[in-house]
Amino acid sequence: MTGVSGGAGAPRLLQVAGLSAGYSGEDVVHDVSLHVDEGEAVTVIGSNGAGKSTLFRAIMSLVTPSSGTVTFDGNDVTTTATHRITRMGLAYVPAERHLFGDMSVAENLLLGSYPRRPDPERLAMVYDVFPRLAERRNQHARTMSGGEQQMLAVGRALMSKPKLLMLDEPTTGLSPLLATEAYRALAELKAGGLTIVVAEQQVPLALELAQRGYVLENGRFTLEGTTDELADDPEVQRAYLGVA
Amino acid sequence: MISALMDGVVLGLQYGLLGVGLTLIYGLAGVINLAHGQVAVMGAIVVSLAMEADVPAVPAILIGLAAAAVFMLLVDATLMRAVYRQEGESRILLGLLIMLGVGFVIDGVLEWRYPIQQLGLRIGGEPIPILGVPMSTGSLLATAVTVVIGLVLVVFFRSTALGRGVRSVIQDEQGAMLVGIDPARVRTFVFGLSGLLAALVAVTRAMTGPVGVSSTISFTILALIVAVVGGLGSVSGAFAAGVLLGVVDRLSSFYIGTYVTTIILLLCAAITIVARPAGLFGRSH
Repeated sequence: MTGVSGGAGAPRLLQVAGLSAGYSGEDVVHDVSLHVDEGEAVTVIGSNGAGKSTLFRAIMSLVTPSSGTVTFDGNDVTTTATHRITRMGLAYVPAERHLFGDMSVAENLLLGSYPRRPDPERLAMVYDVFPRLAERRNQHARTMSGGEQQMLAVGRALMSKPKLLMLDEPTTGLSPLLATEAYRALAELKAGGLTIVVAEQQVPLALELAQRGYVLENGRFTLEGTTDELADDPEVQRAYLGVA
Repeated sequence: MISALMDGVVLGLQYGLLGVGLTLIYGLAGVINLAHGQVAVMGAIVVSLAMEADVPAVPAILIGLAAAAVFMLLVDATLMRAVYRQEGESRILLGLLIMLGVGFVIDGVLEWRYPIQQLGLRIGGEPIPILGVPMSTGSLLATAVTVVIGLVLVVFFRSTALGRGVRSVIQDEQGAMLVGIDPARVRTFVFGLSGLLAALVAVTRAMTGPVGVSSTISFTILALIVAVVGGLGSVSGAFAAGVLLGVVDRLSSFYIGTYVTTIILLLCAAITIVARPAGLFGRSH
């Protein structure tokens, strides 16, 4: 199934090989391999505690892998510092968002392009995708609703002009309506050519956005394939799609 | 009364600048720099030694500021490495103890080699009346320098990428890394800036009276009180607290006596911790 991907022959952007990682010597994620090609949208689905966040944190060097390698855009970034990975073009939006709460929306977006000057075209594009952020540009991030904070977190990540946008449960704390809205924005970004990896518990939305997916259970991939294949899988239907 | 108020503002702005250096290092690195006053006075002693060696005042001051900044950069690059590997409470305690030790070493060296060395910058000219109170040119120059540097800091933190970067690391270190900021480099920068600002305060204090080894501990205590009252990590809070405490300082010594001022200032800090733990400008989460 590894031959299935977005564009045939599209360059490989992210390659994770045999990655194991965890906390205080105890692995949470075991021997995980995945790849993302340019232009693709890929999802990692799994229940709470399956290890999705740990996998993403290990890719970003926020936790040190105990084994395996991470290659991004042709460079081995397994032990590269987080801020360098970001500057290479891998933008990560964690579930906790890590916004700068005492700064305005505009300042958060400015920091997104650090250390370069913000590109006005890019800023206009972010405000275009999320008009709500333009309305609230002078408001402190801390005082915004969960949905608006999520928009800001994605907007801030986009300001660095990433090659790959990696999101961990972007629908955390959002109402079903706002969750759908968030995925509408992601679909728009994907249509604009952005490569996306998204970890999700809201499986139907993720399967609709992505072409390929991986199922993570207890720190291991148990299934991978096109999202159509995953949606037809009885186990996925039972565990994640609420089909009896 | 008015003259005590004016003196309080003059003093308070400098207290504020003293507190800024301390509060930034705490906000960024979780280190309470108990050697802040010692570094300040060390800078002033370097200035006075340079002036004795016939270096003109302005270059001598720049040498002193640079010396204090470089000293703090070295502390960051060496002693603090062990601190940065710790987390939470043990980090705060280790940082505090190491900087206390650094302070003792500076005090010791100054008392041993330069026990009577003092920096006094006599600024010529007749006192100029402000609101009917004759203010010495030294006070006015010290205030002008402090206000200009304060404004430069405000612009720096609001409008430059590095300044915003410093604030971002104080607010959310992981968020900062995720936008491509290297917290270690920002920390190094702030250590240097803090040393420079500390020495600058010692220099402006020398414009109204001599600064020597006997001032080290009171500088450290003042910086600590200002940072606590202003809210650890808040630059604007430090300036506001500095002015407030400067006025309290002058009024209490005017009405009661100099001997109680430090006690009253400590009381202000204690009351702040009880009433508003996050400081005047800090937010309780």
